[in-house]
Order: sequence, then C-alpha cells, then structure tokens
Amino acid sequence: MRTRITGGRVFDPANAIIDQVRDILIEDGRIIADAPPAPGEDVIDATGAIVLAGGIDLHSHIAGGKVNLGRLLMNEDRLLHPEPFGDFCGCGGGRAAPTTHATGCRYSQMGYTAVFEPAVVGANARHAHLEMADIPNIDTGGFLVLGNDDFLLRLIAQGEGQQAVNDYVAWMLRATQCCAIKIVNPGGINAFKFNGRALDLDETGPFYGLTPRRILNTLQRAVSELGVPHPIHLHGCNLGVPGNVKTTLATIGASEGFPLHLTHIQFHSYGTEGDRHFSSGSAEIAEAVNANPHISVDVGQIMFGQTVTASADLMSQYRNHKIADPKKWIGMDIEMDAACGVVPFNYRDTSFVNALQWAIGLELFLLIEDPWRVYLTTDHPNGGPFTSYPHLIRLLMDKPFRDDHLGRIHKAARAHTRLAEISREYTLEEIAVVTRAAPARTLGLRDRGHLGPGARGDVVLYEEQPDREAMFAAPRLVLKDGKVVVVNGEVVELVDGRTYAVHPPYDPLMDKRLERWFDEAVGLKASHYRIADGEIRNGQGPEIVELDP
Amino acid sequence: MTSGASDTDGAARIVRDVVCGFCGLGCDDLEVAVTGRAIAPRRACPEAARLLARTDAPPPSARIAGTPASLEDAAAAAARHLAASRSAVFSGLGADLEGLRRLYDIAMVAGASLDHAASAGLFANLERLARRGWIAATLAEVRNRCDVLVVLGADPASAFAHFFERAMPSAPVPADADAAPLFVPHAGGRSVVIVGGPLSDTSRAQLTRHDVVEITVPEDRIATAAAALSAALAGRATEALAGLPPGVAEALALLAGRLKAARYGVLTWNAATLPPEDAAAVAGAAAEAVDILNVTTRAAVFPLGGRDNVTGAHQLALWRFGYPLRTVVGAGTARHVPDLYATATALADADLLLHASAFRPDPPPGFDRGPVIALAHPDTAFAREPEVFIPVGTPGVDHAGHVFRMDSVICLPLQGLRPAELPSVAAAARAILAALGRAA
Repeated sequence: MRTRITGGRVFDPANAIIDQVRDILIEDGRIIADAPPAPGEDVIDATGAIVLAGGIDLHSHIAGGKVNLGRLLMNEDRLLHPEPFGDFCGCGGGRAAPTTHATGCRYSQMGYTAVFEPAVVGANARHAHLEMADIPNIDTGGFLVLGNDDFLLRLIAQGEGQQAVNDYVAWMLRATQCCAIKIVNPGGINAFKFNGRALDLDETGPFYGLTPRRILNTLQRAVSELGVPHPIHLHGCNLGVPGNVKTTLATIGASEGFPLHLTHIQFHSYGTEGDRHFSSGSAEIAEAVNANPHISVDVGQIMFGQTVTASADLMSQYRNHKIADPKKWIGMDIEMDAACGVVPFNYRDTSFVNALQWAIGLELFLLIEDPWRVYLTTDHPNGGPFTSYPHLIRLLMDKPFRDDHLGRIHKAARAHTRLAEISREYTLEEIAVVTRAAPARTLGLRDRGHLGPGARGDVVLYEEQPDREAMFAAPRLVLKDGKVVVVNGEVVELVDGRTYAVHPPYDPLMDKRLERWFDEAVGLKASHYRIADGEIRNGQGPEIVELDP
Repeated sequence: MTSGASDTDGAARIVRDVVCGFCGLGCDDLEVAVTGRAIAPRRACPEAARLLARTDAPPPSARIAGTPASLEDAAAAAARHLAASRSAVFSGLGADLEGLRRLYDIAMVAGASLDHAASAGLFANLERLARRGWIAATLAEVRNRCDVLVVLGADPASAFAHFFERAMPSAPVPADADAAPLFVPHAGGRSVVIVGGPLSDTSRAQLTRHDVVEITVPEDRIATAAAALSAALAGRATEALAGLPPGVAEALALLAGRLKAARYGVLTWNAATLPPEDAAAVAGAAAEAVDILNVTTRAAVFPLGGRDNVTGAHQLALWRFGYPLRTVVGAGTARHVPDLYATATALADADLLLHASAFRPDPPPGFDRGPVIALAHPDTAFAREPEVFIPVGTPGVDHAGHVFRMDSVICLPLQGLRPAELPSVAAAARAILAALGRAA
C-alpha cells in the first residue's frame, strides 16, 4: 500500500529540504525514496499546504500519578472542557489535565505524533505506562526521575565509583521502561524529606553530604557512558526563585563538557532587579546558551489562564503552595525515589510576575539563536496547557501579533522586558526545527522528525495561511504511520501508539544488590518493581531506542 | 511478569513471592502450594489465606436465569439486558485494571454509573483530598522515615494484618545497612501512638521494640480527639476538647509536643472503619495537623484503605473520565455527582445492576427493579438468582493482572497461580462488548 503526497511545500530541515515542492511517498507506514507514480497508489493532493513531519513534544506531563492528582484537583476545568461529541469521544475531557483519550486526540489534532512524559517516578512507572497505553494516536516515552533516589545517593556518598552508578542507572531504565534520565532539583527533593527547604548547586545536602553539582555530574557521566541518546534532562535547583539566573548560569558552567538539557528554562531565568526584586535574566541565559553548544533548552513558556502545576519538585511546590489558585494542593513523598507536588495556578496578564514570566519565555525563544537547541514547550500543564501551542507559534512568528499582546500585559512588566525591541520572527523552517527535527535528534529517534526515506510515515499538511495560530491549530491532514488520523483538525481515526524505551546493559551483580535493597529497605520485591516488556502498550512491548556508543 | 520462584514439594508446586491484591497493603512475599487446581496458602495473613485457598473442584458454568449456559450465550444475554437498559448501575468493581478497563468500556457504550463496593472510605478522604489536598507519604517512606506514627481509630492490623510489620519494622540486630528504617536515628526511636484503639495483643507484640502509647478513645469520639490534636498543634484552645474522656486532652497535648519534636511524623486512619459521619472529619483533622507540622518539621498522612483494587478503580476513572468514581458515563459524556451515583442511591432509580466481584464472593447489593448481571466469584451465594451469572477467575489466583496499592503510587503485577478455567473479568467483559457489537 503506497501513498503519494503531492504538490505540497515540504519543510524538512533535518534533510536540508526547505520549502521545496516535492512528493512524499509512504509505503507500509514508512517514508520511501521518491519513485515514479505507480498504478494503484493513493494520491493526496497537498497543493497549498505546508508539509511537515509529525510534531514531537519532548516535555509534557501527560501520564502518571501526579497528572491524575491534577485531574482530581481540576474537576471544574474538566467540566468546562468536555471532549467533543461524536464517534471519537472518550467520555473524558479537561484542558489543564486532560484525560488520556482527550490527550491523544488533542495532540493529534494539532499534528503531533509523539509526546514524552518527562517525569516518571520509578515507583509509579507502571501506572504511567498504563496511562500511556490508553493514549491513542501518539507515540510516547517516559523520562525516569533520578538524582533524589536514596539508593543512588548512597552509592555516590559511599564512593562506590562510576561503574556501580552506571549499572544502577541501566538497571533502573530497564526496570521502568523509560527512554531518558531526568533530574529534578538534584538532591533537593531528598533534602526536603529531611526538612531541608532550599539547596543550591554547591550546597551540601543533608544525610548524604552531597552537592547537587556532584549528583548532576555523576549522572551526566552515567548516561554518556551508557550511550543513552538524550543527555541529562535537568530541572535545576531553585525553580521559580528570584535570582535563580545565577544558579542556572553556574549549572551551565558545571556541565564539564557533557551535553546537558535544561528544561523549562523560563522558570530558571529570574533576576532580582527593580522595585519588586523580580526581573528578567533571559539575556544572560541566552548569551550563555549561545556560547555553549553542548547546552540545549526547552522554554516552558507560560500562557495566561487557568492551569495546574505538577512537579516532582516538592521542595519548590511546597514553597509555591501558598499562591495556589484555586486554594488547594497535594504533596507526596514517594517511595525512596522522589516526590510530587500538584498546585493549581492561574497565570494572569494583570499580574506583574506572571506577565514578566510570559515575556521572559518569549525573550528566551527569540534571543537563543540556534533553533536546534531550543524545543517548543509550555511544560504542559505547568506553564499552560499544550493546546495553547498554536497561539505560542503565532507569538513567535508574528511580531505585530506579539506586540499587540505585549501591549495588554501589566504595565510595569512591559517596562521590564526588551521584548518590544526584538524583531525576530520564527520562520516555518525554524518552527519545523523546534517542534520536530530538533527534539527527534536529541532523543535519538532516527526515524522521526524528518521526511527522508526510512522515516515513520508521520506527516502533517498545514494549510498555508497568514494566521499562524489558525494554521497550526487545525491541520488539513495528519498521517500517523501512513494512516490518515485527522482531517481538517478533526480526528477521523484512532490508532494505537507505541512507547519508547532504552535498554542499556548492566552487570548482573546489580540484580542481587537491588533484590536485597528492595527486600529490606523498600519492602517490595525488585521483581515486582520491574516492568516486563509485555506490560507495555497492552502486550505490544516497548520500541527500543538505539544506544549512542 | 513476576518472579514467583517455584519448586516442587512432593506433588505440590511451591510458589514464592506471590503478590496479594486483596486488602490493599500489597504484600508480595506470600507463599502457596499448588496441586493441580488446588491452592494451599503457606505464608499469608488469615484474610489472604482464606481468599487464596482453592480446592480442585471444577468451577461452575455461567447461568442465564439459573440455567447453565456458555460464556458466549451468557454474554449475549447480558448485552441484551444492557441494550434495553436506560439507567444501569455498575457496582462492586472488584477487578484488576484490565477488567476495569473493559467494564468502563461497557459503561461508555451502554451508559452506566460506576461505583466500587469499598469506596465509602475513599470518598470520606476525598472530602479533604479533592477539595483542599494534603501531604502524604508512601509505604517505603513511612517504613524508613517515620519516627512518630499516630493511628487515629482502630488497630490498623484488624483490616491490614501486616501493616505494622511492613510500615514500622524495628532495626534488625545485628545492624544491617540495607534494612529499614534507614533514617530513624535510634533503633528504639520510633513511637507509635494510637488514639482510639485498643491495639490487639498481636500488634502489641509486633511493636515491643517501639515506644507505644495507647490513648483510649471511644469510636464516636475519635473525630473530636483528632480535632483536639490539630487544635493543640495550632496552639488553639478549643471547645473540641469537651466530650473527651478524662486525661485524653492532656495526652493529646503531649502528643502534639511529640509530633512537633519529631523529624517525620505520620498520621494514619482507616476511613472505612470509622463511623461514616466522622470519617471525613478525621481525614480533615489529620491533614490539618500535617499542614501545621510541615511549617517547622516534616510530616505526612498515610490513609489506609484500598480493598479489592478500589484505588485502581479510582485512578482509572480519573484518567479515563477526569472524575473519581460515582460518575455516570455514556453517550460521550461523564457526570460526576457523588451523592447521586453512590451505589445505594443510584440503585433507587436504576433499571439494571451489573455487579463485578472477582476478589471475593461478595453478593450484589439488594436490587429488584430490573435484571442483575453478576460477573462474580464462583462461590458467590446469591440472595436471588441473577438474570445472568458469569463466574470469573480471581486476579492473582487464576490469572495475571494489575492492582494499585493503598498509597496509590505503586501498581502491582499479580500473577496466575493455577491453570485458569474461568474467564477473567476482562475476558467476560470483552465477550459482552463483542455481543454489544463493539470490539474491546
């Protein structure tokens, strides 16, 4: 079965194809090299459309315990945003913390075909995978949260050496069927369990006597030596704290030449200037990112309106819970692995702080020069729901539109941002990079994010129109593995996704050590903690990401 | 899926590290001897032993109005009743996640309200958790960090036999670097204070190496005592102290001081066994106490519950529909009205009852307004013969499956222990879905 997409303007930056009218051929779910028309092939007329690979969101909290706690707290939001009626309704809904079925459908409707849950706590991994199996139309994967787990901190504190850490990290990746390592507030979540309230990069944490820098560097070395394609995905120290720009710059300097991904960097780019002691640090951060090619970031743009923040960083969420809106929040210390904190937020353009956060995010997008090292995220739902991406894309692509919005935010915040001076507008090519090609590359997904032969048949046709928000909100056509799943922004088919994992090898002695640790310390058998391949995606098993030796 | 290391002992096959899905505590070190289809528990608490034990007897067949029938025919009869129903109630929901997913699928197709037999305690807790929230801890955190445990109400071991053993082990002698508790400074440094009680002799024996305080409070005064404790922590003088037995107010004031001095205090209660009118207040007072404590030190709640995978039913409802249980789904919508869709209330307006109970032979609630479809344990004794009875296997006995532990974080893999002859809830529900014309 062959499908030919013909007459569209193709943007495929990974293959250096920019705005060329050419055919894309899909056979058995994959893109093949162009060939002369053959009888019996399906032809899709893409005239007037921009043709891109399927979108990839590498940081969106879509599944697992903290998302479910978000749903529990956001019943009003759920009530206001039911799934549309029709053949593809799952009786769910919600905007800030949508149900699994709604998550798959809404992403699919915007032309996304892969989304990564960036904070899987090991103890909750099975739950996260069960939710992912219920998400239609998109492929998924999880990033395992390490860096606050007692077993690791003890290994490092006892000076057991890098190889033991590597074996442990590999064991955990296999056990939890995740595809990358995330660190959330290195050592900080653990410190909060010992009543530590803050932990800066070079501060020594309680009990183990470790600095966040040491934990970070040890895990950076581990993923590098194991060949996990995505570098450490770091939610750094001091999230949301005015003045944290210093910590973030120090963290960039601490990366010892290992590649490092700084996630939702907007929340880590705050200065302390001005009467209100809250200012934009975006220029310094952008300068540092521009000067350090081993650093990549996603922005975690905030969008005005109601949302819920869900994070493993209970230390920070405890600090934030007093500004919960509505006034409720949930925290949890989790199983010697990590923690979670779920706090509803309502970002308002009339608030000085929120308005400046909005501007800081956009400044970062616009001041960081290399689009291959910036990924488009709102840290869904923490900065705003993922359904606001089309609006965000327009803010990046359309200077007058951006200026118009800038004119509506809190006056004092406007005076504190350089946004009006920045004339840059993202091009379609750059959008294709930040939403497709770049995230695929950093995750090691060689058959995604591009339209060359061998790529997955995930192809999106967007109607070319000046209103970029309308354009990216409702693609003309979305193909998933060569199958049409969305037409004119409406879901027309539900297909099963797959889930990515990495399986690095480890010394079998680690099995014995962890059996004992789980038996005696945790009180759960290691064999029951481990997730078998058959438990992924209803028996389909994981899709293994190749290691980068 | 699970290790379940097994060897043979004569004719019997010994299976170790069996995961238990019954009470919600999620023990995973049980041991059974399997001979043919017979199961004899060798290491299990009395409740698990009772629910795991099986004879070699052949299972009953499905029945339509009391007459034996094939699974396909029974499923077709169930589908006809469901298709004719305008107001169906799904009760029990004692099933693994695989079974629940398919039951929820049926509800979406046929329209039904959903509630679990053990949800009363959960909803008392949700009064606090969903409306204001709390700070909680999972089992391994309690096990390793808790230096002062406060139990509000009855002895937890009455419903969760191994609770103290798992949550509050004492440091082993000789010392062992891997053994819990890892973060309690002195081996004898744990305190267990029960407000309510009494503790059973077994529990007292289990806790001999801890400092145990029993503040005896009658069941109907637990909520008052819990309020008094959080008031004492807040430094409020309160009328709540009125109505407490002599000496209790003073004991609670001492307890407040002990919690403030603790490194990681934990408050626990079983909302399902407290007086229903007080359970939410106890949960609220415990969460309040933890809020106050966390300003200066660390503390968390650890709510007990979770029988027959009620936690899984709750989690699944949230990720599928965006609402907890006690929600009606169908025709593309979901409506969550807890007061209306609690099983007992919903049945007053129902025209069909589908009851699922795979973990134990609990009969369906009384219902005479329409047909009853039972996807139930083979030993279920029915007060009246259901219109359709499909005997189902037990997850963790007859087939594999997933259940949530009470702390709602750990999802456990159950393993089949013997050749399955009965369909799982998932298989029975898939047959009904197929008869309804929907692929599962």
